[in-house]
Amino acid sequence: MSNPIEVRDVTLRYRLDKANVGTIKEAALRTIRRQRTVEWIHALDGVSFEVARGEIFGVVGPNGAGKSTLMKIIARVLPPTTGRVIVRGQVAPMIELGSGMNPELTARENIILYGAMLGRDPKHMRERVEPIVEWAGVEDFVDVPTRSYSSGMMGRLAFSVATDIEPEVLVVDEVLSVGDKAFRAKSQARMNQLINGGSAVVVVSHSIEMLKNMATRAMWLDRGRIKMLGDANEVLSGYLTSG
Amino acid sequence: MTAAESTVRYDSDILRRPLITEFQNFWRFRGLIRLLVVRDLTVRYKRSVLGVWWTILNPMLTIGVLWIVFSNFFGRGGALEFGEPYIVYLTAGILIATYFSQGVIAAGSAIVNSRNVLIKMYIPPEIFSLAAGVAAATHFCLSLIPLLLLTAFLGPGIPWTIVLVPIPLALMLMLVTGLGLLVASAAVYFRDVLDITRVLTQLLNYLIPTFWTLDFIAGSPKALVLVKSNPVYSFLVVFRTWVYGGEMPPAWNLIMMAGSAVLALALGVYVFSRNWRRVVVRL
Ligand SMILES: Nc1ncnc2c1ncn2[C@@H]1O[C@H](COP(=O)(O)OP(=O)(O)OP(=O)(O)O)[C@@H](O)[C@H]1O
Ligand SMILES: [Mg+2]
Repeated sequence: MSNPIEVRDVTLRYRLDKANVGTIKEAALRTIRRQRTVEWIHALDGVSFEVARGEIFGVVGPNGAGKSTLMKIIARVLPPTTGRVIVRGQVAPMIELGSGMNPELTARENIILYGAMLGRDPKHMRERVEPIVEWAGVEDFVDVPTRSYSSGMMGRLAFSVATDIEPEVLVVDEVLSVGDKAFRAKSQARMNQLINGGSAVVVVSHSIEMLKNMATRAMWLDRGRIKMLGDANEVLSGYLTSG
Repeated sequence: MTAAESTVRYDSDILRRPLITEFQNFWRFRGLIRLLVVRDLTVRYKRSVLGVWWTILNPMLTIGVLWIVFSNFFGRGGALEFGEPYIVYLTAGILIATYFSQGVIAAGSAIVNSRNVLIKMYIPPEIFSLAAGVAAATHFCLSLIPLLLLTAFLGPGIPWTIVLVPIPLALMLMLVTGLGLLVASAAVYFRDVLDITRVLTQLLNYLIPTFWTLDFIAGSPKALVLVKSNPVYSFLVVFRTWVYGGEMPPAWNLIMMAGSAVLALALGVYVFSRNWRRVVVRL
């Protein structure tokens, strides 16, 4: 049985223009003068791993290690420069939750729109509005513009929409820290429910404590390369003691 | 384990089938496209006091000014092709020109404007340009109301050919979406691309007889060729003929209209999706 997430020898290069050329005019002038200021950033370099069903895979590493880039590759947002990614099943990406939401629209409108952006049927989303707001604890604010929401409320709403289905693959980048204590416990419970249902989960976090409690396996990334990969306790301890 | 669980949803090595994949996506995401259009309209109308009336009023103001300036010059004697008053001729011209330029700009800026979403979850990006084009088409439909009123009360009356107007409307949607997509990837690279496009579409609109008439340049064969080779000119001819002329336009105008729409859309979608890999890392 193949694993839901397969990442094989993935490399990703960003193109960074040091001069920040933003207009055609500037670009033309630089070409004429033969000034080249382009640099390639290897955000990921030869990364390979797999995540099985019912597994929580933690990803740690210092700022700029390439964790978010990797999540975007699994979520299909960025195509790998080289290498191959295979994802089996429906993906729920949780990367900066709520970015698809528009503050001018009401919670109801946003739930339907956000759900449709995640590839769900708008008709189905209309029926799911009630359970979603109830779970997020914002049922008194369904038909007001989300402009009046606090960022915690917004995060809860988005989390509720993203996990309203049982996705086979859940990609979580630093979003579990939104919300208050009660919500954290609640979201933790929901994650466990998804995992018991057989989802494959990848979690990026700087909170090693939390990962130690959740993750079964882990990966330590450093400047785009795998520094350690394997049992969660070993990798996380290794990362912690590295200072 | 069910069969659905093991389906490959995404394999970075499987190449898209150019054009086919994109058109399938347009169909698959039609629900999202509708929601995006509704969002576009509600957000815009919530912000403005006049709401939906602004869409109708805005071109009317332009038309009013042009009418005051030019009606004595071009409209004298009312000797236009279908016997329509100058105000009707002018309104039809401005509406098509507005649909074209606003459509191209909207479809062209849709991708950059959706950056927030596109870098966090997977949605085929072309969807956003098409939705922006559909929103422009909706504005066009709303502003048809004053044109139809003018035609009914001041003009030659509304002929049966009005039922054919959805054809240029849909073809124009294809044209603006296609051209918008050509602009869209360049707009990710350079900020000034959208400004340049704005100027160019305006310029193109002066080159079609919106407020002026063709006999104004009848003496110059070169100018005539220049005007007639512009695809938007053919849209305008067909539109005027069907909205109030009640006749069939010349076949070459129909061919030019349909041909440019199909070509622009196919080319736009093809070029855009081929480049997307390189564009998305710079979004
Ligand atoms: N759009 C971009 N263009 C150019 N370089 C980028 C871009 N996005 C990220 N990078 C670079 O790629 C590298 C990896 O970035 P990434 O966001 O994946 O790191 P991260 O591990 O998520 O860091 P953090 O812990 O701060 O969230 C960094 O060096 C960053 O500067
Ligand atoms: Mg990050």
